[in-house]
Amino acid sequence: MAPLWRARDLPPPRFALRRTSPSRVGLGRSRALVGVAPAALLGVLLLFPPVTTSEASPTSAVSASPTRPGVSAVARSAKVEAPSPTAAAQGAAGTGIRGRLDIRRLARPAERRPDVAAAGAPGPRDLNDLRRGVVYLESAPRAAFDEREPGRAVMDQRNERFVPHVLAVMVGTVVDFPNNDRTYHNVFSLSRAQRFDLGRYAAGRSKAVRMDRPGVVRVFCDIHSHMNAFVLVFNHPFFSVTDLDGRYSLPAVPPGTYTVIGWYEGEARATRSVVVPPAGWAEADLVVP
Amino acid sequence: MFTGWGAEVLGCWGAGVLAAALVTLSATPAAAQWLPEQPITFAGGHVVLGAEVSGTFGADDPGFYNYTSYEFSALRNFRLGVSAEVRANDYIQVLGEVRLDQGRVLEMYGLFVRVRPWPKRRFDLQAGRIPPTFGAMTRSAYGSGNLLIGQPLAYQYLTSIRPDALPASSDDLLRMRGRGWRSNFPVGNTAPGPGLPMVNTSRWDTGVQAHGVVHMFEWSGSVSTGSLSDPRLRDNNRGRQLAGRLVARPHTSLQLGASASRGAWLNRSLEDEVDNAADVSRARQVAVGGDAEFSVGRVLVRGEVIRSTWNIPGARAPIVDGGLIATSTLLEGRYKVAPGFYLALRGDRIDFSEIRGTLVRNTWDADTWRVEAGAGYSVTRNITLKGAWQRNRRDGGRVQHDDLIAAQVVYWF
Repeated sequence: MAPLWRARDLPPPRFALRRTSPSRVGLGRSRALVGVAPAALLGVLLLFPPVTTSEASPTSAVSASPTRPGVSAVARSAKVEAPSPTAAAQGAAGTGIRGRLDIRRLARPAERRPDVAAAGAPGPRDLNDLRRGVVYLESAPRAAFDEREPGRAVMDQRNERFVPHVLAVMVGTVVDFPNNDRTYHNVFSLSRAQRFDLGRYAAGRSKAVRMDRPGVVRVFCDIHSHMNAFVLVFNHPFFSVTDLDGRYSLPAVPPGTYTVIGWYEGEARATRSVVVPPAGWAEADLVVP
Repeated sequence: MFTGWGAEVLGCWGAGVLAAALVTLSATPAAAQWLPEQPITFAGGHVVLGAEVSGTFGADDPGFYNYTSYEFSALRNFRLGVSAEVRANDYIQVLGEVRLDQGRVLEMYGLFVRVRPWPKRRFDLQAGRIPPTFGAMTRSAYGSGNLLIGQPLAYQYLTSIRPDALPASSDDLLRMRGRGWRSNFPVGNTAPGPGLPMVNTSRWDTGVQAHGVVHMFEWSGSVSTGSLSDPRLRDNNRGRQLAGRLVARPHTSLQLGASASRGAWLNRSLEDEVDNAADVSRARQVAVGGDAEFSVGRVLVRGEVIRSTWNIPGARAPIVDGGLIATSTLLEGRYKVAPGFYLALRGDRIDFSEIRGTLVRNTWDADTWRVEAGAGYSVTRNITLKGAWQRNRRDGGRVQHDDLIAAQVVYWF
């Protein structure tokens, strides 16, 4: 397991989420394995340590953090993962970076594969809300890496869709995946940052994964190939999922010069250098062409 | 269409090239991004394209246990399937799939129009070259839907009977036991050729299908030109096949299904070859099947039993008394060991009914068993490598047992 960043006596580290495409992140381990003989490959796979998962009823998940789809879920995760007082103390009160991530061309929701073999048309489903991106600091102040209480977040499954489509959390966060749909789902990820498979579980049940490493975790359903989502795992608290208008704010960023990155649908697509003044907010708009 | 092992070797080469290409591409980040991950859409989402590419390379199969009705081994194939859905509006869609087998046999596998008279209800009508109505495995017998590499016996293994040739007596039939890959009979087309599987998934039938969902039940029914063993693009006997399937899902972890079909299966050309032409037109294949699927957590278990009866006219003594019956039993399971890695096992057999010959009483074809064990590893979400070992046994024929290994790479989007 990769160690978390510690930066107490080091210059501010560059954040792990660079301009890396999701597939690149997801293929890291596979790439290393593909070159060996198939038998060795299977042997290595068998030695994979089990993923930290837990199972709970949605009721318990809801009591920890109320389960509501869409905006509220993202907002809740942002609230859960808000910068700790330690980090906030490093920046003056009422300082930070805010602005807008302007997504010029929205991605198309993943379509169902043409299921020619089906006896009839599939049932209705919801489409992913693709109006949100994530804005984060490429490098964070040292204190941002201080240890914190791990939070909890929820990525729901409703009407053959993950809600929210994009979740941003800090390392150590436990993400619940309740199944609030009518059918079976099987949440899994083959991303290098977090490889897990929660197996099939029915409506009314929930399973959870602790996000142990920073990076992009692509989440899929093994049964419904059009279901996909992203969990961005950060090792510092300076990130924000944009609202429906693209607005974001990174509060309590200490004065200094930073690189702000705008991420959208699997890629870091916009970068901008920002100077945070000793007092007040720095404004930084980014454009995703 | 082609025949011969040389072409299979060509298919095997194609499979090898595909495997190498996919592994190389998936191992190179830039190239991996080049491979589509999701279906490709055009015309504002009105046209959706998907594809599946699979390369299968396996050991030589001298007993022809994996031979298909297209005269190649299912363990040696390079297949490219492109499927398309044109969504004209909420009421009408057109779906089709083109398949290229062995790297050179091109066929329009399915092409039909789907009409949804009430888009908000789960009710559809499909007309054209339609997907199979019968059975649980017809939609998952090959490629990414298949847990292993070999296909279930009922859907692939060739029995000795043929739609264009008839045994004159039960002795002729007994002589062909275990030779379904290349059988010949004295009545009708006397040239050697492949026999029929119980359920043919190599090609689809042509007709009309209705489908609906009511609460926990899903039903479908169809009228088509061919038979379960011999789906057809063009009618060859003026007969029709009626097929129906009912699926119940009492719990999300459990699915229970029942299927039935009845259709004329003999070619009209045989009417001139027998004393009573009506016997040919009256000959039917009647099949019933039951299936179940249970899945929870890392475990998936499926089972299916099919019983098929073919009526054939007899020309001379000793005649075949009653129908020819074949019963298949399948049980398979999968266990996910780790993310992206699973183990799978299948036990499969076909038993045939007995007939009386001049000298002996025996099953009309040789009973056949198969055990297949394998593993699958997902390099990425849509690239899977599989390996399998297969043990085949047959109660007759030239080669009565055969252990085979095979590997497969599947890529889909």
